[in-house]
Parts: sequence; C-alpha cells; structure tokens
Amino acid sequence: MINHHPKFELIKSFVNGDLPASLSAGIAIHADMCAVCQQTISQLTEQVAEHSFEEVYLDRFIVDNESLETVAAIDFNHMINDIVESSDIDIALPAVEKTVSFNDKQYTIPAVLSSMKLGKSSHIGKLTRSRILLNENEIHSSLLHIQPGGGIPEHTHKGFELTVLLDGSFHDESGEYVKGDFIMLDGSHQHNPVSTNGCLCFTVANDALHFTQGINKLLNPIGSFIY
Amino acid sequence: MQTNLLSKETSAKSTNMSDKINHPQLCQWLDAIAQSRDKQAFTHLFNFFAPKILRIARGKFPNEAQANEVVQDTMSNVWRKAHLFNKDKGAATTWVYTVMRNVTFDMLRKIQGNKEDNLSDDIWPVAESMSCESKGFDDHLADKKLLSVIEALPQAQQDVIKGFYLREMSQEQLAIHLNLPLGTVKSRLRLALGKLKVQLGEKHD
Repeated sequence: MINHHPKFELIKSFVNGDLPASLSAGIAIHADMCAVCQQTISQLTEQVAEHSFEEVYLDRFIVDNESLETVAAIDFNHMINDIVESSDIDIALPAVEKTVSFNDKQYTIPAVLSSMKLGKSSHIGKLTRSRILLNENEIHSSLLHIQPGGGIPEHTHKGFELTVLLDGSFHDESGEYVKGDFIMLDGSHQHNPVSTNGCLCFTVANDALHFTQGINKLLNPIGSFIY
Repeated sequence: MQTNLLSKETSAKSTNMSDKINHPQLCQWLDAIAQSRDKQAFTHLFNFFAPKILRIARGKFPNEAQANEVVQDTMSNVWRKAHLFNKDKGAATTWVYTVMRNVTFDMLRKIQGNKEDNLSDDIWPVAESMSCESKGFDDHLADKKLLSVIEALPQAQQDVIKGFYLREMSQEQLAIHLNLPLGTVKSRLRLALGKLKVQLGEKHD
C-alpha cells in the first residue's frame, strides 16, 4: 500500500502550475497510482478554478484604474474573430504506451513522461541511470534502476531529493517503500536505500548526493552521477 | 510560495460551487461550440473568461504582450478543444482553468528554458485520461485483450470504436471529427461491434 504522499503545500503549488516540470511530473505519476491524492487534486483544482473566475476574487488584483483601462484597451473583438476563423479542432489521440528496458526487463513509462526525451543510460555497479532531458538548470530528473541487491551508500542531500517508485520496492532506515510511494527528502535526512528485489524510480534532485560514511566518501565526486 | 492565497478556501467543503457563476450556462456554451461550432456561444464564453484570464496572466507575466498571448492561446484552445470537455467529469470553470494553467505553464517553460516541448497536457490532461475512465475496469487482462482485438479491426472501424468508447465522444461529435456523414459513423460502429462480439463472445456487450 502507498504510504508516502506529497505534502498539501506541494499539491497546492502543483495545482497552481507553480512547480517545475520535473516535480509536477512526479506528483502526476504519484496521483495516477494514488486515488487519495487524485481526489485532493481534483477538489483543489475545482476550488482554485472557481475562485480564479469569480469577480470578487479578481478585484483584489486590481491595483489602480490604469490597469482597468489597459484591460479594456485590448481589442477583444478582433481576437474573437481571429479565433473563430479557424475551423480546426484538436483530436486527442489515444495514448501510446512507451516502454524502456533496464537489464533486460521491460517497464512501461508513465504517460506523463511520454513526451520527455531520455538521455543515454549509464551504469555504476547495480545502478543504471537515464537522465530525463528537461533542461531545468540545477534540477536533474532521471529514471534510476536498481538491480536486486543493489543500493546507494549512506548519503545525505545538499538540496532536495524526490523519489517516486515506479516499480518494485526498496527500504532504508525509515522502512519499506512500495510502488507509487512519493518520497521527498532534504538535507536533514541521511539514508542508505537498498533494493532487495530490484526497482525502478523516477528521481528529481537539485544538487549532488553527499556520501557520509567511511570509504564511500571517496564516491562524493560521483554523487552527482546518481541523481 | 503563495501559501496564504487559498488556505482559507481549501479548508472549506470540497464542492463549493458559488452561485455567482452560472455553471449550467457555461456548460451549454461549451457544448454549443463542440456540437455546432457556435460562434455566438464562443463570444459569450470569451466575454466571460477573457478579461479574467488577462488579469490573472498579468500577475504571472510582467510583459503585456505575453499576458495577451495567454488569453489568445487559452481561448483558442477552448475553441478547438471544446469537444474534449465532459460536463459529467467537472465544471466548465475547472476545465477552462486547466486549459489556462497549461498554456501558462508551457509559456513560462519556454521563456525560462527556451524549451518548446509543451509538456503540460501530459501532466494535466485536458481530455479525461483513459486510465481514469477505466477505473471500474479492474480486470487488466481483459482490458488488454479488448484493446488487442480492437487493434485488429480495420483502421476506419478502429477510429470510430476508440472515439466512441475510449474517448466517450458522441456519434455526432465523431462524425464532425472524422469528417464523415453521421450514417457512415453509425454503420462503422455497428460493423465493428459485430466483429468484437464474435471475437470476445456475446457476454462482452
């Protein structure tokens, strides 16, 4: 059962469209598997929409008369004529399922990610990582595959690290995580995830991992490799 | 983060449709656009939404031309996608909000990263996604089998079946989209259903 969900604040930003594509995708993937968050999102969207289009709410945005005048200055009639002139309609095509292979195992890519480009995959030990090319500067998104028995040495995060489990399971000091879990960690968390039976994750991080123990500190230069 | 903006409202009950907005009227206009490309209905919808969208866009884009573009693109999408609105799945305001939020999101992404990848419709589908519609369809294997049988049909029949059952379009809407006479849509649907019944057995109707 899914145990880890995005915080309400995060869902709110998601509904407002204020999150980067990477985190928005993470929430959408989770919500596809989580009826509870799905419902929270629909209810919140309905409320936000209602308030967005209510006159009373909008009045708060009007600071002076000038903005009202400029609103009126746009030629709305021209815009209407322009739009209705086109007889085109958008036909929504049934979604095509895309798959990706890691170590001879095939996985269906979540529909949310279907238009995103995947970079080449790279390997370290039992880890395989494919970058998702979203071009969000310091924020990096990836598909991370862990083979059975693989794990990531104990580390902390300089920024945040989001993991959404797409398939399989893993565990760390705080417990077991299953398909659909939405795990958001920051610098205050230190953990050593291990996947006994293997797993595939969608990950988003805004900085390198920082390995904290013994010999693994030598891995710090490749901390940016994994996430 | 704009945390205070909505915190009061969100703690209220879930369906707080206000009576300040005439929801049935908005639905009716959208429906008229979808069914008959009704320009008058679109003008009404435009007059209701456009000034509001413009003011909201002003808050997100300092550049006036960009705010105007949000209005133009949102309303243009409403015109072209009205048939994807399903009033049983939610309010017209929610749907137009989704269209507007998606336009805004893609535009911000374009401005910030020079990326024109238009990811928003994948993140927030404007048409109800099929995974939602098949919620009651727990038997995944049966679902897969059905799809594979559908895909074995001739393309013309597939288009009609998929539009009618998977996208829940009406026969009239399908006729418009596929640019076919209504009679043709009906007969293709009948033909395809006949074949599916043979393939799957009578119990799947």
